[in-house]
Amino acid sequence: MTIFITGGAKNGKSSLAQDLAVAMAKGKPHYYIATMIPCDEEDHERIKNHVADRAGLGFETVECGRNILSCLDRVDPNGTFLLDSATALLLNELFPDPTSCEMDVKAAQRCADDLVTFAKAVNNLVIVSDYIYSDAARYDEVTEVYRKCLADIDRNLAQVSDTVLEVCAGNICVYKGDVLV
Amino acid sequence: MDLIIGGAYQGKLDYAKEKHSIQDTDVFTCQGCEIDFTKPCINHIEEFVLACIRADVDPILYFKKHWEDWRHSVLICMDLSCGVVPLEAEMRQWRNLTGKLCQYLSREASSVTRIFCGLEQKLK
Repeated sequence: MTIFITGGAKNGKSSLAQDLAVAMAKGKPHYYIATMIPCDEEDHERIKNHVADRAGLGFETVECGRNILSCLDRVDPNGTFLLDSATALLLNELFPDPTSCEMDVKAAQRCADDLVTFAKAVNNLVIVSDYIYSDAARYDEVTEVYRKCLADIDRNLAQVSDTVLEVCAGNICVYKGDVLV
Repeated sequence: MDLIIGGAYQGKLDYAKEKHSIQDTDVFTCQGCEIDFTKPCINHIEEFVLACIRADVDPILYFKKHWEDWRHSVLICMDLSCGVVPLEAEMRQWRNLTGKLCQYLSREASSVTRIFCGLEQKLK
């Protein structure tokens, strides 16, 4: 089963995703795929908070900032996977060098395909993304490419997911499927 | 009239094509402050609104005046309403007028659909 979760920042997506992944695992192996490649102190702080958040939930952490399919040989695909987030994964793929704005659009497209393949390869997947598409702003070209690539990932995943949810201030809106696990 | 709204890149036009049998040649893509209503599908209405602001035209009045021309059309507009209040006055006006226009069009519409990650959500 694949559950796709999106929504605005700080609405409770990650904690819902953790709860759903634990419930789906039913005591069997569950993996947290850590996608963020920390670049500064703020990133380390964020990671520290996320680690504390999931302490005691029994997740095995798998570091995988790029090439999501590469982590499949380190895990049991019959397990349950929490991937938080598509947003961070795309960032690493689209910008191979974090110190420059040079984009690898092909890697971003491959990332979208890989995520669909990954969803089909594993037993259970909960994947988190970010809804960044409804503001009145003119972004620079680089940001616009990033938004479009993330939207492509979201649409591909929403299509193959059993359940699609938006989390808003901790509340759940269901767009597809249901949340009974 | 069928109104389709949603965030950027969510699949609004793809949905219109599939649901309403729209071809590429049926679509008018807004750029300036004139709309070719002979096309059955009008896309990027938010761009029309921005052009109106820059040309000092009232976009809602424009739609009201052309009511007969779009009453059977498929209209597509981006939802711009969810970000922080923009610092720039023009962007604030863009957001306000696009929101107000969408409210007017929603009232006139026989169906309103929001597209979210490619999925349809019936609002009306």
